[in-house]
Amino acid sequence: MRRNWKKVIAGVLLATTMTAALSACGTTSNNGGTTAGQSAGGSSGGVTGATIKVFLSEEPGADDINMKMMNAWAAETGNAIETIIISHADQATKFPSMAKNKDLPDLIWTTGIHQKYPEEFVDMSTVMDMDIFEDTVLKILGKSYTSDKIVGLPVQFTVTNMYYNKDAFAAAGLTAPTIESAWTWDELYENAAKLQESGAVKYGFASDVSRARYDILMYANGGSLVEADGDTFKITVNSEANIKTLEKFVEANEKVMPKAIWAGGTTDNPVDYFKNGDAGILLSGSWNYNSMLEEITNFDFGIMPTPKGEVSQASIIGGTALAVPENAKNKEAALDFCKWLYEEEHFKTYLQGDKGLSARKGVVYEPENEKSVEDLAIIQSEVAYVSDLFMVDESSGWRVYKNDEYRDTIKRAVSGELTAKEALDTFAKEFSESSGWAIAE
Amino acid sequence: MIKKKQAFRHTRAFWLFVLPALLLFSVFFILPLILSIGFSFTNYDGWKTMDFVGLKNYIKLFTSIEFYKALGRTFVYALCNLPFKVIIPLLVATLVTSKRLKGTTPIRTIIYIPVLLSALVAGITINWMFGQEYGLINFIIQKLGGTPLEWALNPKLATFVISFASNWVTVGYYMILFIGGINNIPKELYEAGSVDGATSVQTFFRLTLPLLSPTIFIVLLLSSVGLLKEYALIQGITQGGPGTSTTYIIKYIFDQGFTQYRYGYASAIGVIVSLIFIVIALIQFRATNGGGEV
Repeated sequence: MRRNWKKVIAGVLLATTMTAALSACGTTSNNGGTTAGQSAGGSSGGVTGATIKVFLSEEPGADDINMKMMNAWAAETGNAIETIIISHADQATKFPSMAKNKDLPDLIWTTGIHQKYPEEFVDMSTVMDMDIFEDTVLKILGKSYTSDKIVGLPVQFTVTNMYYNKDAFAAAGLTAPTIESAWTWDELYENAAKLQESGAVKYGFASDVSRARYDILMYANGGSLVEADGDTFKITVNSEANIKTLEKFVEANEKVMPKAIWAGGTTDNPVDYFKNGDAGILLSGSWNYNSMLEEITNFDFGIMPTPKGEVSQASIIGGTALAVPENAKNKEAALDFCKWLYEEEHFKTYLQGDKGLSARKGVVYEPENEKSVEDLAIIQSEVAYVSDLFMVDESSGWRVYKNDEYRDTIKRAVSGELTAKEALDTFAKEFSESSGWAIAE
Repeated sequence: MIKKKQAFRHTRAFWLFVLPALLLFSVFFILPLILSIGFSFTNYDGWKTMDFVGLKNYIKLFTSIEFYKALGRTFVYALCNLPFKVIIPLLVATLVTSKRLKGTTPIRTIIYIPVLLSALVAGITINWMFGQEYGLINFIIQKLGGTPLEWALNPKLATFVISFASNWVTVGYYMILFIGGINNIPKELYEAGSVDGATSVQTFFRLTLPLLSPTIFIVLLLSSVGLLKEYALIQGITQGGPGTSTTYIIKYIFDQGFTQYRYGYASAIGVIVSLIFIVIALIQFRATNGGGEV
């Protein structure tokens, strides 16, 4: 009898332990925390006592302006913030799971989830006056790809831009281009080779591994991913112009760039190559400017205008938007934060901390030093090079069908696995199958 | 009657102890397997689209060159690395069980430490060692006057780095299995061999190896499965590159499912790949007589 009871107790204990382990595994594993706002006895927007769950793409540092603004709002309004850290790449997988489990965040700082699933997000045009935003930026960062719904508010707006190593240029006897006298892409490749030959740097030119960076070469040469065709689109990614652009890019990787990065066998970051003084020119974006200012101490760097292609200079704007899921538990509190942030005084504070471009009319970042004033003037000028071809591509919402596959296809061409033509033809075929769009003749 | 009661109690106790593991197995293996088979007949995108498409996914995968390329690369990688997965831990285990070697305990511990690392940490460590620009190995090569190797650009070198990492992470685990097998060999057999004048090499090949057949079979089976399923290290070190030279079948399935949102198609690939792996395991089982002989 005693032995039987022992067996039963052992079995029950084991079952309880396993169940507890299962429920521990099942809890949301968030790298986040909660910041309780100090109650100020009321809120500017009327919502108080809420804890809003916020998706962030990386752990905020001590000086992170996004976190500071959210905490300031929380303190002022008697609310609290709970952060969930999920990288941009993982947000696309996590968000659908959270929606299915009815465990959505209340606010997302996102680069694309809102445009991938527009039906899941609040139409911000029903909540705030859209006239306060720069029109182009709002269309690219906030508007749904498939309708006029504004599913996100542009908050961190960035543009592609070129950095260069002033000391290396001086050693190689090169003069940096100016807004009035920009280089062509061919001149950039030639001068990158001179930089390398001078021994001042190991690589003349490096570029972020991002199709958004590669695409400015495409747009500069008059190419595009799609073209409008009545109510639909035709695929033009494998046009002759694009094949030529890719062939030149592949050649540049062989001669003046750290090929391993775009060939895909390494996780090295080209921005680190530039910061270490190993790359003389870097194609990246304005979001890196502040880290360059803080971290580059062993040489002087500057900003140069994007080179011209066969047709024009080209740039791409992008960034982060604030989006609020329709079915978020604390939707009203999240919207209250959005309204608060875009008030002129608060957005000015935000911009001074972000040190970036402004998506809101009438508010600009005012740098404290002369170098930043000069650099930001060149960065700001890049916005004018956003081409119509880019706008058409964005309006097609092509990234709903294919995104990383495009970048991976370019990588295969750079690695030599495929020729430029094979790579773009292969991608065009897969793109056509996914989207249902015909390939242009 | 009493015997029947006792038998019933034993059976009940058995199921009580087995039930939690069975539940976990069902929830984390059987259920996902059934769901995966179900998804393979749909165009499931991970969330909102799930229409029955019949055998369309299977037809697509059997006519996909990329699928065969990824599978081929995986088989070549597994075949080339399998001998090392068995031989290296076996030799290490033989060494650390030798009475002539001093300090075997700390040696075993040091060799076992990589087993405890997560694949992410292992990948970061390997990146630090084999980074093309800033890695330790190339730094040493340059200091010795040599030319840095193109670890990340050369497909063969990139594959070598993955192989090195894979062996480094698992040698401790298989070493433990072999140590257990070696320690279970009766000492009298070695004494008899010694009396008959057998050398160390003869003892190893004529006595140790044959008696380790069951362990060798287990290591062969586990390492085959591990090699065929290699993913985490690839993601952490080469991300499938350069090009697609280290994109093996699991990375291919991951890309199809999680990057391209073709869960249905990825599930179909998963089903076919699982069947292939089962066939491989069965062949190994038959070839080694379930571990009865090598």
